[in-house]
Amino acid sequence: MMAAKIRQPGWYRALAFSILGVLVCLGLSTGLRAAFSVDPVYDGESVLQISLLMVPLFFLGGIGCFDYWLRWASGRTVVDDHADHGAKSWRDYFKVNTDHKVIGIQYIVVSFFFMFIGGLMAMLVRAELAAPGRQFVDPNTYNGIFSVHATLLIFLFVIPVFAGIANYVIPLMIGAPDMAFPRLNALSFWMLPVAGVMMLLSFLAPGGSFASGWTAYAPLSVDAPIGQAFFTIAVQFAGASSIATALNFLVTIITMRAPGMTFFRMPLLVWANFSTSLLVVIATPFIAASQFMVILDRALGFNFFNPSGGGDVLMYQHVFWFYSHPAVYIMMLPGFGIISEVLATRARKPVFGYRMMAFSLLAIVLLGFTVWAHHMFVSGMSDWIRIPMMITTAIIAIPTGIKIFSWVATLWRGVLKMDTPMLWATGFIAMFTLGGISGVMLAMVPLDIHVSDTYFIVAHIHYVLFGGSLFTIYAGIYFWFPKMTGRMFNERLGKLHFWLTFIFFNITFAPMHLIGVQGMPRRVSDYAEQFATWNMIISLASFVVGLSTLIFLYNMIVSWRSGPKAGANPWNSLTIEWQVSSPPPIFNFDAIPSVVGGPYEYGVPGAVHAVFDEAEPEPVAVGAGASASEAD
Amino acid sequence: MEAASIPSPVGHEGEHHHGPPIANQSSRVNSEVLGILLFIISEIMLFGAFFAAYFFIRVVSADGWPPGEGLPVAVAGINCAILLSSSVTMHWTDVSAKRDNQMAMRIGIVTTFLLGLTFLFIQINEYLHLGFTPETSASASVFFGLTGLHGAHVVIGLLLLWMSAVRIFKGKVGPDHHRGLEVPGIYWHFVDAMWIVVFTTIYIL
Ligand code: HEM
Ligand SMILES: [Cu+2]
Repeated sequence: MMAAKIRQPGWYRALAFSILGVLVCLGLSTGLRAAFSVDPVYDGESVLQISLLMVPLFFLGGIGCFDYWLRWASGRTVVDDHADHGAKSWRDYFKVNTDHKVIGIQYIVVSFFFMFIGGLMAMLVRAELAAPGRQFVDPNTYNGIFSVHATLLIFLFVIPVFAGIANYVIPLMIGAPDMAFPRLNALSFWMLPVAGVMMLLSFLAPGGSFASGWTAYAPLSVDAPIGQAFFTIAVQFAGASSIATALNFLVTIITMRAPGMTFFRMPLLVWANFSTSLLVVIATPFIAASQFMVILDRALGFNFFNPSGGGDVLMYQHVFWFYSHPAVYIMMLPGFGIISEVLATRARKPVFGYRMMAFSLLAIVLLGFTVWAHHMFVSGMSDWIRIPMMITTAIIAIPTGIKIFSWVATLWRGVLKMDTPMLWATGFIAMFTLGGISGVMLAMVPLDIHVSDTYFIVAHIHYVLFGGSLFTIYAGIYFWFPKMTGRMFNERLGKLHFWLTFIFFNITFAPMHLIGVQGMPRRVSDYAEQFATWNMIISLASFVVGLSTLIFLYNMIVSWRSGPKAGANPWNSLTIEWQVSSPPPIFNFDAIPSVVGGPYEYGVPGAVHAVFDEAEPEPVAVGAGASASEAD
Repeated sequence: MEAASIPSPVGHEGEHHHGPPIANQSSRVNSEVLGILLFIISEIMLFGAFFAAYFFIRVVSADGWPPGEGLPVAVAGINCAILLSSSVTMHWTDVSAKRDNQMAMRIGIVTTFLLGLTFLFIQINEYLHLGFTPETSASASVFFGLTGLHGAHVVIGLLLLWMSAVRIFKGKVGPDHHRGLEVPGIYWHFVDAMWIVVFTTIYIL
């Protein structure tokens, strides 16, 4: 009984493999140390670091991510019978599944799980900052809390939740039965919980969690206690996950579009994820490299960032920001796509300047690689880099501005339906514009030098990431909720959620501009008496934001279970995902639709985006075509 | 109004089980080949970041180069030749697969694999006789970082070649079934090409 369970892919085997993995790492560490006669032979930190790298692989193997490939690699004939495609009960969501719709929901739910944990940490940060002096936690713990907060929300929420939404929607939108590589897709997903759990486990490490911010600057991160290794390695798994998904999106979008779906008939969400995926594939290896170097410095005594050995500390920042500036667009472009979908549908108008919208995405991708050092104006890098970076940063605001103006023009004279998705979308436009403005201000070297490392930066990043990314995420979740669940959410609760968040978001973050300019430093658990009043107001407001999130959670859970049935196309949208049932059939389509027009021809009489052939008669033999495809 | 002009939603609750519809092929590029090419772009960027480290440490902070008492250029040069010839045999294997020449395919893949293994062996041997370690200096770290990263890619490449070899020997590769050889092959060519860049920047320049 037990043995049979352990042989099958699943949680039992994952547990067994993980334990085995720890033992292997123990053997590896002591064995190697003995071979090179390092004393002492047993070293806990060494075992831990090797385990952090390897045990996840054992876990992934145990849960079943590699079974198919290993069968293939052992030279056997592998026939895909689609046994692990589609969910029949909620239990299937806890297994390796290859259906993009299941994976999309897995992604979204797991991301929101980490969002709530990360959000809780934000509440702790605000509780500590409610008054000057020490309230609850010592400075080191404080550093740990804000570091894990930012890391979780960036790497385990914003980036993957967009991948989740896109996973669900894109194959449907372009008329594909699934993603190009369904098993790689499953692997991408399963690397996420691994990364997230690892980040959380760092709190148990001796010396506390990683505490050098989400940026983990060297040499701080090289000298920090072992908790830092949890960051260094978890980020590798999160990064590998997003590279694999990005590659999958690109191949899917390039090779699997329905007949007639030319690039300029693709919905902008598809364009947005296409651009994002390019960014991911090109930029993410840089953060991987930066963390490889940190781990080499930490564990094996390399000298990349050790000045006394000739290393270069600033090099970390260059490599890190060469990823992390593009990464801020990785965290924003998919949201741009969501907004275009929601606005066009809810304003009943074609997106204004469709082609400019697509081209400006590509422009952002290109320009995004030319601005990284605007994060380093005060780092001590060569002075001559500053002005070029200031100019390129100002230039990148142009394509961003084009998008904002196009959205406003889309709204202009539209028949606006101000329901929940639309509220979030319009709220986004306002908030993101403010964040963009503070961004351009920060690009100006003199101003940036003045407000560097102050709460002005915190204000900027939250206007773009919360008012920007998160608002688009909410818009998207509300918008596609009926498609994913087949049910409608509660509109009144949705509106309440929006207004509470919108108002108290602004009370929380707008004053940060002010106290930032006055010099309140970021990433410090204490501050001068003069900032006390504002901080109290900010903390109180932030708690309301936190509470409003519970309304969202309640609404989602209750509506999913017992909301009114939504129907296939509650928003009267033209794009393909709305032309199939809600939730969609297990293989998306009976026959691939043909695309005959643009995606946003709202208000054009008789306009159609895609047509469906009458469903073909039942295929003669099960196993014809793709269902029995054998891998080469 | 506009939505009404769309044929009624095709939906069914999955009452009968059948496979997915066959996806439309919207590009002439094969998806596996495109996938590996994109992955190689990622890999190039990974190397790029290590080259950035090389640049900063060698040029910007001018830590002395080369690390130690000069690098064994001749050995590395021989290694270069070995890896390049393995690319040739790899290509030959590929061509044989398309011609369904099973014998040539087997010889080709085994030779390629052994050449790769030899490269790795020589590289490790070189490491042991260099006279410096990563702890010696930043340039030494860069040396080990770049060559080690490349070495790791050789290992991955060899694993992939191993899988292809298994399938070849089981007779599963032929003119209609050669992606499982072609894709590892493309990766192998990348690993070889990358060595030329690493070799030039580390040993020659
Ligand atoms: C027009 C658009 C934007 C411009 C011109 C801009 C400019 C800047 C500049 C110059 C900084 C450096 C401030 C400093 O550290 O001294 C900065 C920081 C930052 N920006 Fe933006 N930004 C823009 C949009 C965005 C977007 C869309 C996001 C994310 C969705 C974002 C996220 C961030 C983050 C996270 C930081 C802080 C990094 C840290 O922790 O140090 N920005 N931005
Ligand atoms: Cu930036």
